[in-house]
Amino acid sequence: MTTTLEHKAPVIKHEGGGLARHQNFLTAMIGGIAGAFIAWAIAHHLLDQNVRTTSDAVAVLTGCGWIVGFWFGIGALNAPFAWLVGKDQTRKDQLYYAGEDQGTKRYWKYCTDHKVVGVQYIVMTMVLLGAGGILAMAIRTELIVPGNHFVNQQVYNGFIAVHGMLMILALIVAVAGPWGNFVVPIMCGAKDMAFPRLNALSLWTLVAAAGLLLTTLAVGSLTMGWVVLAPITDQAGVGMDFFALAILVFTVSTTVAGVNTICTVFTMRTKGMTLERLPIMVWGAIIAAALGLYAFPYFSLVEALQILDRTFSTSFFVGTGGGTGWLQANLFWLMGHPEVYVILIPAVAALFEISAVMARKPVFSYRTAIAGMVGLAGLSILVWAHHMFTTGWAPTLGGPFMVTTELISIPTGLFFLVLIGTLWRGNIWMKLPTVWMFGFIANFIIAGITGIYLSDIPIDNQLHGTMFVTAHFHYVFVGSVLFGAIAALAFWYPKVTGRFLDEKLGRIAFWLAFIGVQVTFMSMFVSGLRGMPRRYSSYSFIFEHTNFITTIGAYMIMAGMLVLGGAVIYCWNHGEPSGSNPWHANSLEWLVSTPPPLENFDVLPVITEDPYNFGKELVRS
Amino acid sequence: MTSSNENKKSLKSFYVLWAILTVFGVVVSLYAPGYLMPKSMSSSMHLSILTMVVFSVSAAPVAAGVYAATLYIMRNWAHKGDGVPAAAPAIRESAKTVVTWTLTSVILTVFLLIWGLGALAVDNSGASSNPLVVNVTGQQWVWSFQYAGPNGTKVESNDLYLPEGREVVFHITSLDVTHGFWLPQMGVQVDANEGTFTEIHTTPNKLGTFDVRCTQFCGLNHAFMVTQGHVLTPSAFTTWLNAQPARS
Repeated sequence: MTTTLEHKAPVIKHEGGGLARHQNFLTAMIGGIAGAFIAWAIAHHLLDQNVRTTSDAVAVLTGCGWIVGFWFGIGALNAPFAWLVGKDQTRKDQLYYAGEDQGTKRYWKYCTDHKVVGVQYIVMTMVLLGAGGILAMAIRTELIVPGNHFVNQQVYNGFIAVHGMLMILALIVAVAGPWGNFVVPIMCGAKDMAFPRLNALSLWTLVAAAGLLLTTLAVGSLTMGWVVLAPITDQAGVGMDFFALAILVFTVSTTVAGVNTICTVFTMRTKGMTLERLPIMVWGAIIAAALGLYAFPYFSLVEALQILDRTFSTSFFVGTGGGTGWLQANLFWLMGHPEVYVILIPAVAALFEISAVMARKPVFSYRTAIAGMVGLAGLSILVWAHHMFTTGWAPTLGGPFMVTTELISIPTGLFFLVLIGTLWRGNIWMKLPTVWMFGFIANFIIAGITGIYLSDIPIDNQLHGTMFVTAHFHYVFVGSVLFGAIAALAFWYPKVTGRFLDEKLGRIAFWLAFIGVQVTFMSMFVSGLRGMPRRYSSYSFIFEHTNFITTIGAYMIMAGMLVLGGAVIYCWNHGEPSGSNPWHANSLEWLVSTPPPLENFDVLPVITEDPYNFGKELVRS
Repeated sequence: MTSSNENKKSLKSFYVLWAILTVFGVVVSLYAPGYLMPKSMSSSMHLSILTMVVFSVSAAPVAAGVYAATLYIMRNWAHKGDGVPAAAPAIRESAKTVVTWTLTSVILTVFLLIWGLGALAVDNSGASSNPLVVNVTGQQWVWSFQYAGPNGTKVESNDLYLPEGREVVFHITSLDVTHGFWLPQMGVQVDANEGTFTEIHTTPNKLGTFDVRCTQFCGLNHAFMVTQGHVLTPSAFTTWLNAQPARS
């Protein structure tokens, strides 16, 4: 229907776009700061300064001002307003929003092209991981020897909270953001996402939320870990308001992104792309998105109630007013455990994809792979109370939750079956993505087994709240998810840039990170087993050696990540050219040119088989 | 396409590697928990360490299998040379493998569940008729312990004193934020919550000192919310209790 427009009038450049021609990241920052200032000024002058909760209310309103101003500044609200006053976007406007002929400028704009959003997500992930990584280095430096030396305890406690939340946000988007946006629509044979503007909205809302989260470091006064358990949040200052609001806004971003991914896959697949011909990565993306749609509303809810408690003296989580911190803990972990698999599943699905292409073999037992991911997602909504085994809440529920939690090892085992089965008797191409994939396998088995200990109450009664738990979930997040995300980056990087991620630098980074992970988190397991609790800013001399080793290992990981980050930046323009299908794969993203054209396909392909018949031509019409 | 024979190597070296890694894993599993964890001073802690050992021994062949398979794959099936590897023979399904794998993991999981639920039942049972009740109060950032003293008086202490061989029931609460009451040598912990009481119990079976640490992040001095515990002989405990100044 839109092509007729193009024929009637030849496209004249510098038309369309309207206000969006003047909007970019800079105007978004200006809008955000102006919005924050206006909201602050109004709230500060109108609210009664003698009320205890006023400073929190002012902080929340300031944060809201920032978000709304940012949305205005970036152009997120242009189209809704235009629609409201009866002006639909023209084709030219849409092409302008999609970044046509704007070169690199479009990466700074509210761009609806899913490939641009994918690249923006790569940058955002790296920024978030970088910021969280710097905090991790600060934490480990403080812990290198007993006693408080480098930062004061108050600042240290803030670091713990912001490090945790930054890394969680970074990993939620680390695979699903870049590749769920860049490659998944092309894999389905779609010209764009189902809702291109929502796609841009999810990205820029994440940027706004991250900005809010980072300001908490400047505001300070965070007194709690990333799980922000009530009632200690009562003692936190206005930094906590920004923190809660940042999470609330972040859940808007993930919800919008999740709906978009699911709708794209279910409505925009090309002819012949049946569900069972989908690349397995696409299944990972929609299963994780669906799980996110279940889990993140709890996250919104818990932070919204937290904000109400702080600004209106409601008492959802305050014992003296009839509430309870256990309610907060329940809501938080109802989100918190599924969220782990929202993070993990896309990484695992990407590795299924990579293992098949690199072993030159189909995914072993494709349906088992789907069953494993669905099983994990399904079970994950029934296990939240294992985070509360030692809280004293409902001790009789301990047994049932122990059962559901230990059942997790069955779908997790299927992941290993599919990965090893795919590699078995393969003809394995030992390139950078493969190397990081093997790193994932080695680390994920440790992550899984240490998780089984913690699911068992007699052991959890000893190890809960210790460094053992910290080491366990860092094996999950750093050793497994981050390794999977880097494998995915190395695998699809040539499709984005037309160049390989440097093999040599990538391998140096791999060995630094792989050895670093073992050194850091093995010694951290030992600290935990010997009795060191989590979130300590200082510790007794019996934990001296293991903590020293942990810090050295952490520096190694950081060194590896710096090498990798350097390689990503350098190779973007200077890497070895890769051509459009460097891995000789059959899924659709490799069959379009590099970089893919604005709407991906000139003629939509017709699919007759799945992409795993290597050595055969994919039949297309 | 490479012939399928070329890719079918003998699995003997895989089984040997698996066996060696399993033995290594089992040996580590048998000794590491006891060596690394705090020395046990109660039956709960003994059960924690034993369960660690049982779980580790059960997991050892699984982990060893994954590592052996990975090493074997890298050793035998890594493509050599610069070119693009040829397609390998497709193995799309193997019902036998999937069923064997799944059944094995189900059996292992059920075994661990039965053990775990059994251990939990043992841990929860055995409430003796005459336990010592200690009220534990956490506040930023100190612990205090209240005992029933002689003649209906109350005794308070900042060190925890327990008699050997008698069950102790802790009633735990907090005056402010949530704290985590953990006795690393006893293998028990539970949160201290404001406005409500939580309960754990244990039976110390060894004389000596132990630690009391906070495992729930509680603010500025969380890392320093520690105190000492002492297990005394029953008579020494009575002597200590009677020597304390009574509080109303």
